[in-house]
Order: sequence, then structure tokens, then C-alpha cells
Amino acid sequence: MDIKEVIRAINEMEGDGVIEGYAIGGAVGATFYLEPVATLDLDIFVTFRSEPGSLLVSPQRIFDYLKARGGTMQGEYVVVAGWPVQFLPPGTPLVEEALKEAVRSDVEGTSARVFTAEHLAAVALQTGRAKDKARLLHFVEAGVLDAKRFQAILARHGLEDAWRKFERQFLSDTP
Amino acid sequence: MSFDPHAILESKRALRRKLAARPVAEKLRLLDALRERELAIRGRRIQAESNVLREEPAPFRSKPL
Repeated sequence: MDIKEVIRAINEMEGDGVIEGYAIGGAVGATFYLEPVATLDLDIFVTFRSEPGSLLVSPQRIFDYLKARGGTMQGEYVVVAGWPVQFLPPGTPLVEEALKEAVRSDVEGTSARVFTAEHLAAVALQTGRAKDKARLLHFVEAGVLDAKRFQAILARHGLEDAWRKFERQFLSDTP
Repeated sequence: MSFDPHAILESKRALRRKLAARPVAEKLRLLDALRERELAIRGRRIQAESNVLREEPAPFRSKPL
């Protein structure tokens, strides 16, 4: 089990032109900024290449590419180096922006593209499950968010009310 | 060692800060180890637990964006 190996495989896939770009999100993305928290899978957001002559985009090329290199399919996941990897298209304007503005990070000589802390926090707020709220709280407590950038993202994507509610619920002494 | 809840919370926060400040590669190796442990624990859970209310019923599922 080696997450770095997964990152290397995805970099190769990008280099070989199977995908236009990618960024790591979810709990693994958050690990670039916070303490590690157990997770079972790896979320990779990708810009899919459309097939020639088709307007539809399909993850099939990704699956074929990774299967040819030893990956195995498990439902909607491709298992690479022991990790189930889920390839996700940017389903909302927020995720689209997060993918566009993702940053490169060096992992002992391997380059990894990852969502910014502010986008990871905003996506967690938008997704809104209990574990997403916990992640958002970790971001706030760790003091790794650029407040100005985070607020601008919230404003652009209509998340200000959700943030106020989160503040009342988790960051205020008086509920 | 102290039983002062403030001191306990502060030491937990300090540990989390220390972990967060480790190099990314080291943190990713910790993720590898945590996942292996999590899978081992899940594998030992008894079937009777399936009636327990939980947010995520299955380890692998599609996620809403």
C-alpha cells in the first residue's frame, strides 16, 4: 500500500495525455495541510478528455490505462498500489474552480497537484456531511486558511449563509 | 500528567499541530498505515452491527459532489 505510487501513476497518466489535469481532494488532499486522518479511498478530480468525434466524456480511458498497468476495478474504483481511487469530474462550479486553481506540492521528489486549503474547506462546507463539517473545523482550528481568499470563494459560490450557519453551530459560544 | 480538562485539550491540540507540521511524505505514509489499520478493524466487525444507524453504510460508494 503506497499512496505515493498512486500519485506517480496519475502523473504518468497526465503526461501520456489520458487526462488534461487532476487534483487530489477529500481526506488525502486535506492531509497536505492538516494532520492525517484515516480514510479508505483517494478522491482524484480530473478534467476528462472527450473521445474524438464525441461530446461525451468518459472515464473509460482512465480505467483502461490503469488496468493495463496492473490496476484492478472494484465497483466505481480503480485499485492502484492497494488504494481504491475514485476519479470524479468537477460536478459543481466550486469544484471546477478548485481544480483550475489547484497547486503543485512536492512529495519527496514526486509532484502532486492538490486543491488549495481554502477550496478543500469550501468544498467540505458545500458537501456538508458530518465528516465534512469535522474537516472544516480542523481547517479553522489549524489556522491554515487565508481568511480573505476563503471568504471570496464563499461569496463567489453562494456559500455565505452556509458558513454563517456553520459559525453559529461550531464556532460560537452561544448557539 | 494532569486531569485538568483544559490541559488535556491543549495537549491534544498540540499533538495535532505537531502531526500537521510533519513533512507531507511522512503524513502520506501515516495515511497508508492508518488505512491498513482501519481495514483490519472493519474486517473484524460482527454482522450484527449492520442495524446500527450510520452516515456511511459501505466502505466504497459513490459520493455526491
